[in-house]
Amino acid sequence: MIGKFLVYAFFTTALLSSISYYITHLGKEKYLKAGRLFFHLTAIGILSTAAFLMYAILTHQYQFAYVWEQSNSELQLPLLMSTFYSGQEGSFMLWTVMTAIIGIFLLNYVSKGDRLEPQVMSIFTLIISFLGLILILKSPFLYVWEKFPGEVEVGFLPEDGRGLNPLLQNFWIVIHPPTLFLGFSSLAAPFCFAIGTLMKNRYNDWIKFSMPWLLFSGMILGLGIMMGGYWAYGVLGWGGYWAWDPVENSSFVPWLVIVASIHTMIAQKRTGGYKKTNLVLCIAAYLLVLYSTFLTRSGILGDSSVHSFVDPGYEVYLALIVFISLFTLISVAAILFRLKELKSLNAESNKMLSRESTLFIGSVTLCAAALVILAGTTWPIFQKGTIDAAFYNKMNLPIAIMIALINGISLLLKWKQNDEKRFFKSLIFPLSLAIVVTLGLVYIGVQDFLIALFALASLFTFFVNAELAVNAFRKNKSSVGAYIAHIGIALVFLGIIGSSKYSEEENISLELNKPQDAFGYTMTYLGATPFEDPNNKRDTKYHFNVKIEKDNKEMLLQPVMYYSEYSKGVMKNPDIANFATKDLYLSPMGLVEPEVFSENEMIELKKGEEKTIGDVSVLFNDFDFGNVEMGGAEMQSGNYTIGAKIKVKDSKFTETLEPKIKYTEGNPEYLAAKITGNDTYNFYFVKMSIKGEDEGGVTATIAVVNNKLSSEKPKADETFVITASIKPFINVLWAGTGILVLGFFISILRRRKELLK
Amino acid sequence: MSKKSKTITGVLIILVFLIIGFMSFMDSKIEYVNFAEAKERMRTVEVKGQWLKEKDSKFDGSANTFTFYMKDDFNNEMKVVLDGAKPNNFDVAEAVVAKGKMKDGYFYAKEVLTKCPSKYEADGKEVQQKKGG
Repeated sequence: MIGKFLVYAFFTTALLSSISYYITHLGKEKYLKAGRLFFHLTAIGILSTAAFLMYAILTHQYQFAYVWEQSNSELQLPLLMSTFYSGQEGSFMLWTVMTAIIGIFLLNYVSKGDRLEPQVMSIFTLIISFLGLILILKSPFLYVWEKFPGEVEVGFLPEDGRGLNPLLQNFWIVIHPPTLFLGFSSLAAPFCFAIGTLMKNRYNDWIKFSMPWLLFSGMILGLGIMMGGYWAYGVLGWGGYWAWDPVENSSFVPWLVIVASIHTMIAQKRTGGYKKTNLVLCIAAYLLVLYSTFLTRSGILGDSSVHSFVDPGYEVYLALIVFISLFTLISVAAILFRLKELKSLNAESNKMLSRESTLFIGSVTLCAAALVILAGTTWPIFQKGTIDAAFYNKMNLPIAIMIALINGISLLLKWKQNDEKRFFKSLIFPLSLAIVVTLGLVYIGVQDFLIALFALASLFTFFVNAELAVNAFRKNKSSVGAYIAHIGIALVFLGIIGSSKYSEEENISLELNKPQDAFGYTMTYLGATPFEDPNNKRDTKYHFNVKIEKDNKEMLLQPVMYYSEYSKGVMKNPDIANFATKDLYLSPMGLVEPEVFSENEMIELKKGEEKTIGDVSVLFNDFDFGNVEMGGAEMQSGNYTIGAKIKVKDSKFTETLEPKIKYTEGNPEYLAAKITGNDTYNFYFVKMSIKGEDEGGVTATIAVVNNKLSSEKPKADETFVITASIKPFINVLWAGTGILVLGFFISILRRRKELLK
Repeated sequence: MSKKSKTITGVLIILVFLIIGFMSFMDSKIEYVNFAEAKERMRTVEVKGQWLKEKDSKFDGSANTFTFYMKDDFNNEMKVVLDGAKPNNFDVAEAVVAKGKMKDGYFYAKEVLTKCPSKYEADGKEVQQKKGG
């Protein structure tokens, strides 16, 4: 009751705050206080709601369907806390909380001086109202008996929860979603500034206000995206860090637009141009966040992603559509309403070889990348199917080359000038260094033309920025942020070239204790050892120990496989050896247990077929299903017995036998049959196989074991099958992402300082 | 450069980009088809259907392939060879989507996605289960 009441309450106060602020905007200044008051109430309401949900989770209040669905009593504190947002209802809650927190800082910021407070806050609180509406429709506070009416008695308290999806049970769920949602939420601020400035019809100062927020979103969203990449790489065992999956794309597209808009904003600050561009980009970035939410939350992409999309129900689908349509409508209306004023804003500078022109071209290129990815991600809505990941790689490679080149060139150019001589002179140092290193790379194997060009462009921008960073560090430390961020991007590009284009992969079957060579390493599978995961005591997890040796150095890698009761399937986690220049990545594929019967003991027979093995012949007549129904409930449960009726002939006798297989939870036990008076042979029914019609329909596999021989038979060992891969220079990629974030951070400090001046 | 020639250059670049983009886009489209249609198409497609559990399925460690039988939504049966191990959640999947193409009479899948909506949407019975059950 409390939870639901709180959601209704903050929804109402957010709406009231929005209306009060809007009336203030219309000129009735005395409503400003009401707007602020209602916002404060909203923030208190949201934080209380979140606190209440967290309390319900921590105290295991399983009468709430959400808590029951997402958590259980054995989860340790960090993972237990992350069930707050592991489900759909909770992730909307997280988004709302983050938006509220951003709102508190935003109000504090806009209420100081003339910073468009009524306009910005009326839009901002409207966003909160919509998040509240979604939480009303998709409440995390539904009781189990409300969620399953008629099935669960009113007032029933489940003993334990269902638990967290094992795919999510790792460190990254603790920090990845909050980071991503903080990025999404903070992007509301630049959006509100853009709309606010249109409402106010004043275009000179809004970018100064929104710049720090935009940089903050760029930094946080970028960080979140990278964490997602590391999660995929290090834990999920997808083999890569980026799969062009809709969920990944939908946070990447807004990020590209943010970066584009940061650059044109800088151009506007210096030259006064690109006012319209910046308005449009800031608006587009947030609308794209809403659009991606729609894509990934509405269930509309259900069939085209490895992420599981849950259909949230018709009301939420509709609410999301209204949410995005309304804000698109507001944006378009605001622009159209001010079209005359916008047209009269002064035009851009006309010098092609000036920094602002190249910055603009760079932004257009970034938007082109965004558009390409958006088109690919949106496509499945129009036609069932997906877009091959190769499309994104093919299209974005030339774009990335251009971005790297433009970045380097733009930094060598001056604002509002066309000084060609100086420009060409400044090209010499970074370009010649880049060419030398690229030639070296070509020599060691980078032979693909476009890839070599990509390396050249990345190295070029790396050296340009490195030189500038060194100079800036000597003189004016505060401006060093941008150069550092660019160095980060250049490293990311180089890391991508190494780790994806020049990654090598090999499937390896490791027989127990038998060393095997791959990629210059000697790998030996030493067997599996069980270990306990404190977060998941229901399943027994196994480390599959692989000894890696090279040059008398030794290390142990331990990929994990286990049967998950929750997923009813085998879960696999890779293990990685991190070296300075590369990663050795072991992804478990499966464990092949030795066959109970050896290959030459088994025969496969169609109905009525007869085969001879050793000095006996076996004729297969028919199966004996008893009461077991083919494909019925018993078969599905894995507890049943079936037999094979066979006619066996040896030198003296002919006898009809019926060996059986007894399945207990899917595990077979083979019941032997013998010929009367002949102890030499045991007959076993190994399996029933149903093949395609072209391969002979149903067959029975029968094993004939010669007891005299079988005792001497050497026992085969289990084989651990892995996919091993080498990821060259992946450290460069991770280092690049870190440096990029650092660059953003330094830039934020600088823009804040500028603002405080 | 005059403003006019600048605009023309810009428009030309965008046009070339759009054309390349469109062509590569049509090239990368992966259609959703059934097995009968998959036989006619030589390119990579996606087929949705059910895993036929009662039929033979096997992981071949040396080739690193998982072979199983699948029935599409139009009841066409097909042997599917997946390049890789049995996917997570395969046993409880309500539906599976195989992405690949026909090869020598069977469907060679580069990737198999599993769809398990029912797993996440629990029912009332499960709520009343005892601990550890």
